[in-house]
Amino acid sequence: MMSIKKALFGGIACGCILAASAVPSLAHHSFAMFDGSQVKVFTGVVTRINPDANHLQIFFAPLDDARRAVIRDDNDEPQIWAVEMNGAAQAAQDGISVNGFAPGTIFSIGLHPLRNGQPGGDRGESALYKCPANTPPDAGEHCWDVEGSTVHGDGEIPHEGELQEEYVPE
Amino acid sequence: MDYYSFFAAIENSAIGAFVRETLNVLPIVNVFHVLGIALVFGTIFMVDMRLIGLQSVTRPVSRVANDLLKWTWVGFALAAVTGLLMFAANATTFYVNLQFQLKMVALAFAGLNMVVFELVTARNMAIWDGERRTPPSARFAGFASITLWVLVIILGRWIGYTKGFNFSAPPAGDLDLDNLFGAISLVQTAVG
Repeated sequence: MMSIKKALFGGIACGCILAASAVPSLAHHSFAMFDGSQVKVFTGVVTRINPDANHLQIFFAPLDDARRAVIRDDNDEPQIWAVEMNGAAQAAQDGISVNGFAPGTIFSIGLHPLRNGQPGGDRGESALYKCPANTPPDAGEHCWDVEGSTVHGDGEIPHEGELQEEYVPE
Repeated sequence: MDYYSFFAAIENSAIGAFVRETLNVLPIVNVFHVLGIALVFGTIFMVDMRLIGLQSVTRPVSRVANDLLKWTWVGFALAAVTGLLMFAANATTFYVNLQFQLKMVALAFAGLNMVVFELVTARNMAIWDGERRTPPSARFAGFASITLWVLVIILGRWIGYTKGFNFSAPPAGDLDLDNLFGAISLVQTAVG
């Protein structure tokens, strides 16, 4: 009969192997909360990162058309939006991390907005474009127009508006 | 330094970054956290059932406790270390998460229940150690322990389903949204 000690350590070893071999899942929940037929494009300033293990979120204050100040709501408070993507470990491989996108970082992104009207969305097929430090784009432009900007994550330059084909993640 | 800055510093620490940004570290830490909790609850449940009088009633309480509680502490150490690592990875979010706060409260009460049992109820254990039916205070301690640990597990698992977009969390750092680009915005104002 196998000793209890052997069984215990065998079980722990199996658990480790299973955990290590688990393919990091891109999505563990439905994307139905996001409107995959719409893209909203923003250039904004990072206010906070939530480096969640399952879905990293970047909270940001969108810049106005002049790209010199943040957009404010009716109460004169800065609007805050959030964009969600894959988990913190995978995002970090693309340089998307707490340190890589510190508060004050200027970046551009396209997102599929939440259907419930909250100011958040999913990154979908858009890459992240980071402006050089303290260098906002010119009026009406985005970080991908700025010399020295960097691209983070697989994806493309987003375009505002309706998509011809709804974005459905794999 | 306010509390939020304190937890932001933990999140920004090298250990926090390592746990969340290295592929597969968090799932492995999570596995050991679950193993630790399983060990804590599995062993303490048997001791509590003896206290309540539903299990191992022919064996003295002290013997059941001595056999099992050392493994409870092994499990607790494992759960605590792995729990701290997971906390460090995303400290600012856990700090403002209601379910996490409630879990810590339940954990504190479980600890308090144990301390009261050890210091008060167990003082005269020699008298009832071998009895099938333990005193009401011992039965209460067993029942409270099971209830509180079940609560800890429920709340712990619940955390994973509560982390949507939290717009009420404050911005990190000393970002001044009124004066983002310093000189640039001053020039704009002057020109305008």
